[in-house]
Amino acid sequence: MNILTPQKLFVRLLLAAIVLAILMSACMFVGSEPISFGKVLEGPGPSGFNLDYTIFMQVRLPRVILAAIVGAALACAGVIFQTILRNPLADPYILGISSGAGLGIMLAVMLGWTWSFAGLSPVMLAAFAGAMAAVWLVWGIGRFTGRSQVTGLLLAGVVVNAFFSAVIMFLTSIAKAFQLQTTLFWLMGSFAEIENTNLLFAFGGVCLAGIVVLMLLGTRLNLLSYGADQARAMGVPIEQTCRLAFACAALMTAVAVSLSGLIGFVGLIVPHAVRLVAGSDHRQLIPLSALTGASFLVVADAAARFVAAPAMLPVGVITALTGGPFFLFLLIRYTKNIHWGHL
Amino acid sequence: MNLIEFQNVSFAYGTQPVLHDLSVKIEANSFWTIIGPNGSGKSTFLGLLSNILHPQKGMVLLENTPVSQYSGPSLASKIALVRQEFIPVYGFSVFQTVLMGRFNYSKGLLFESEGDRQAAKDALEATDTLDLADRSISHLSGGERQRVFVARALAQETPILLLDEPTSHLDLKHQVKIFDLLKQMQMQKGKTIVLVSHDVNLACQYTDNVLLLDRGQKAFFGTPAEIMGSGRIESVFQVTGFHGTIGKGGFFMPLGRLSKDKSP
Repeated sequence: MNILTPQKLFVRLLLAAIVLAILMSACMFVGSEPISFGKVLEGPGPSGFNLDYTIFMQVRLPRVILAAIVGAALACAGVIFQTILRNPLADPYILGISSGAGLGIMLAVMLGWTWSFAGLSPVMLAAFAGAMAAVWLVWGIGRFTGRSQVTGLLLAGVVVNAFFSAVIMFLTSIAKAFQLQTTLFWLMGSFAEIENTNLLFAFGGVCLAGIVVLMLLGTRLNLLSYGADQARAMGVPIEQTCRLAFACAALMTAVAVSLSGLIGFVGLIVPHAVRLVAGSDHRQLIPLSALTGASFLVVADAAARFVAAPAMLPVGVITALTGGPFFLFLLIRYTKNIHWGHL
Repeated sequence: MNLIEFQNVSFAYGTQPVLHDLSVKIEANSFWTIIGPNGSGKSTFLGLLSNILHPQKGMVLLENTPVSQYSGPSLASKIALVRQEFIPVYGFSVFQTVLMGRFNYSKGLLFESEGDRQAAKDALEATDTLDLADRSISHLSGGERQRVFVARALAQETPILLLDEPTSHLDLKHQVKIFDLLKQMQMQKGKTIVLVSHDVNLACQYTDNVLLLDRGQKAFFGTPAEIMGSGRIESVFQVTGFHGTIGKGGFFMPLGRLSKDKSP
């Protein structure tokens, strides 16, 4: 009988982690400036300056780690929104996060803020604040609308998205050309430069904690897939579970958005791809999606640096261009005997 | 002792009344069937009893305590519910689905124990679904899925089973099997069964009491023999038909205007 045991879960996660580690290591050597593995190993050297080592430590390593954190966060959040909203089209941005963050970014750029807080740029902070404000608003409206919380949340997301998008359009129409360019780069999704590596670990820590909490909610989320009423009748504390899962997913998305702007596709496609290959059990789906999302974005970012070098493409372009066909391949490969309902 | 009691319960969806001033007492270790036309409040009755819905007036008591005062896990340790069919958006295997009935026993742990797996296996065997264990729930027929949901409720190992039309998609063999199984649960394990069904005849072969609802009110309550002889089935469902006897009980065959035995 096919059941998930601790041993099975451990082996699968270990394999996915090894794949991620290999991809991260390989992608650190991809970029417009070629660097040699041997020279990186030499360290800073006696003169204190080794270009390859400096590029590796200060540019490539933080960027690859950043891509992994963002990929893991978005994929995980995608799983949660798809489950809670019982909607296969849900992605981390569905509940207004994209427009909230977009508005934050636009405001920060247009107001010309230059200060920084704890190593965070004003654009990052504004994106985070905008995303959280939108989520808070959507959650509030969704609860206010009453009985069917899922429908209420989805409609609230549509309303908030529409309203914030209208404000963004208004600001776009009065913005100057250079402000538009900066904003557009963020909205298309690209990685911020993190000078303070401690910050990177802090973000990574937040996302890891989120993944662990969500994984522990895995059994409850499985039951929730059969509808809130049925899950409640089987003893699941629905309100508490939804609130906690929603908060984790929203926080992880807001962190991802503040680090990378709006990278599409990862949060939508990765959870479905993992479901197709490994099934819908959330105890496995959540950590596997995190590791797969991390791998996918690490590779996509390497491609974004490499394809048009020395120019750098927005990573969102790569995720959409490659993610779609890859997902189609999986869909055809795994659905020969399975229809869509299996998702 | 009354295990379940509805005290003057009224319930409405918005301004649409569904149950009106309903009072019912259900004893432990009894088998109840609720019948009535569409929209008469049968599923609402089960929803109120499982605390998914909350009465606007009156009280629903379980062991003399309002069901609303039970915590989720403590109510789930007493009542298992099989609702009308709900297919999840994302597919789970049959065995995974039945194991979900053990949620209350796993105490929030990430993995089920060997005991949980055995209970799920026993439930699958009892409902004749063990050979479906590794199939995806979304690839089953309606009838197979219903049996799996009954298995999940059995795996929950509660003293009370609530079932909303559990045999509506089943073939004759499995309809009888499910009723046999429920009767066995009542007689051997002392469970209390409350079942909503449109199959009056089959239910009357097994049940102790029948509650007939009509527009949210108690139209009749009694034993199968009493309801068959009351004439209330015809008046509430607004059908005419043929009454007969079979063994110790009676049956009712509704006949439409153009049926062979009525049309010229």
